[in-house]
Amino acid sequence: MRVACSPRLIFACLFVGLLAGCATAPPPSHPEARAEFYRTNDPLEPANRVMYKVNNALDAAVLRPAAVAYKDAVPEPVRTGVHNALGNLDTPIVLGNDMLEGKPYRAGTTFMRFLINTTLGGLGFVDVAKRMGYPAHGSDFGETLAVWGVPEGPFLFLPLFGPTDPRDALGRGVDMASDPFGWVGAGTAVTALNWSRFGLTAVDERSRVLGEISGIKRTALDPYATFRSLYRQHRHAQITRIEADNRHTVPAWFPAPTTAH
Amino acid sequence: MLARRAFLPIAALLFAAAPGLIRPAHAQSATATAVSFIRNTGQQLVGVVNGPGSATAKSAALTRIVDRDVDVNGIAKFCLGRFWRIATPAQRAQYEHLFHRVLVLNVTSKIGDYTGVTITVGRAVPRAEGVVVATTVSRPGQAPAEVDWLVKQTAGAPKIVDVIAEGTSLRLTQRSDYASFISRHNDSVPALISAMQAQTARAG
Repeated sequence: MRVACSPRLIFACLFVGLLAGCATAPPPSHPEARAEFYRTNDPLEPANRVMYKVNNALDAAVLRPAAVAYKDAVPEPVRTGVHNALGNLDTPIVLGNDMLEGKPYRAGTTFMRFLINTTLGGLGFVDVAKRMGYPAHGSDFGETLAVWGVPEGPFLFLPLFGPTDPRDALGRGVDMASDPFGWVGAGTAVTALNWSRFGLTAVDERSRVLGEISGIKRTALDPYATFRSLYRQHRHAQITRIEADNRHTVPAWFPAPTTAH
Repeated sequence: MLARRAFLPIAALLFAAAPGLIRPAHAQSATATAVSFIRNTGQQLVGVVNGPGSATAKSAALTRIVDRDVDVNGIAKFCLGRFWRIATPAQRAQYEHLFHRVLVLNVTSKIGDYTGVTITVGRAVPRAEGVVVATTVSRPGQAPAEVDWLVKQTAGAPKIVDVIAEGTSLRLTQRSDYASFISRHNDSVPALISAMQAQTARAG
């Protein structure tokens, strides 16, 4: 997936941005620039930068004002409660991915979190499970694919979804399609609830990174390149953390649990 | 000459055999040094941030800590990447000076956001580039953040060469920012310098 303009990518270029097209690799006479081009692995950069601008315009017009208003209008404890409840709705997907990644300890934690928080935590508003020794962790199908050995592929910037790559974009699609709350019931009320959840999640997530995003935009000379680097590093760190988490589920009667960590 | 020639292979042999014996002790002491260094610096940083005093006084105190404990010029060189070699000595000097100002501005501009900070020093792992010391930085009402510090011995003293916050390396991020900026400005280092000048001028 590191080729500058493979047929697959040309197709993607046509799809993503007819207006911008592919970036061309620097000539072999500039080996260092060429090496950097392949390392950056962003052959769709011109199209991605267009999408970045589109996304910024959307953010400035809709999402950021909504997030600021939400933060101003709603007191902190309520926002935390909403965040917890939205996170609780994601636990079936997290659980599925924990299992697909072959991480029984993490799956057990997620399962207990869902049970405890849905009941004692009042539909997830209060994170009781965390205090009982079941802290939250994320997991998505992009990470699962990574654990299975699927490479990330070239960088992508999509409107609404922001920085991603083919693997994570596919993972997001699979997560959305397999969300059990998406299957429950039908009719206007359910559709409205699902859209509210989607919108509220977007506003909640955005409101939690207001300072960070504006800080990056203020201090970076090339914010697009900075977000690209941050996204990739963050993903690599998350995947490494999952892969390194080999805690076992030791039965209670087992004499010496060696890996208590 | 002869003696020297004879000595060289022996020395080489000794060194080839020695790492197995010497490295663990050396690595252990380097690790211990790095841990106590980060514990000290961390306590001082937290002390300044949480402590009383005006924003100006805090900025001055943080600048002193940065100058003493951070390998600013080493990080500056790293962040310029392949463009360091094409930069003239004058451009390098100018860039280093600006880099220092930008770094200090970035550190001090965040003071207001942090109160009641605590730092817990965790494990240290020796790596090829230095010792990575893991810490957890907590703030009231916020999820604790995993912050790793890359510590390297430079000129006999331990210095911070990178900060890895939640898996993202500050110097790697900075380098990709500069690399992208310069390559989009016809590989011109002066373009970066003037952008950095504008940045520091804006911040006052």
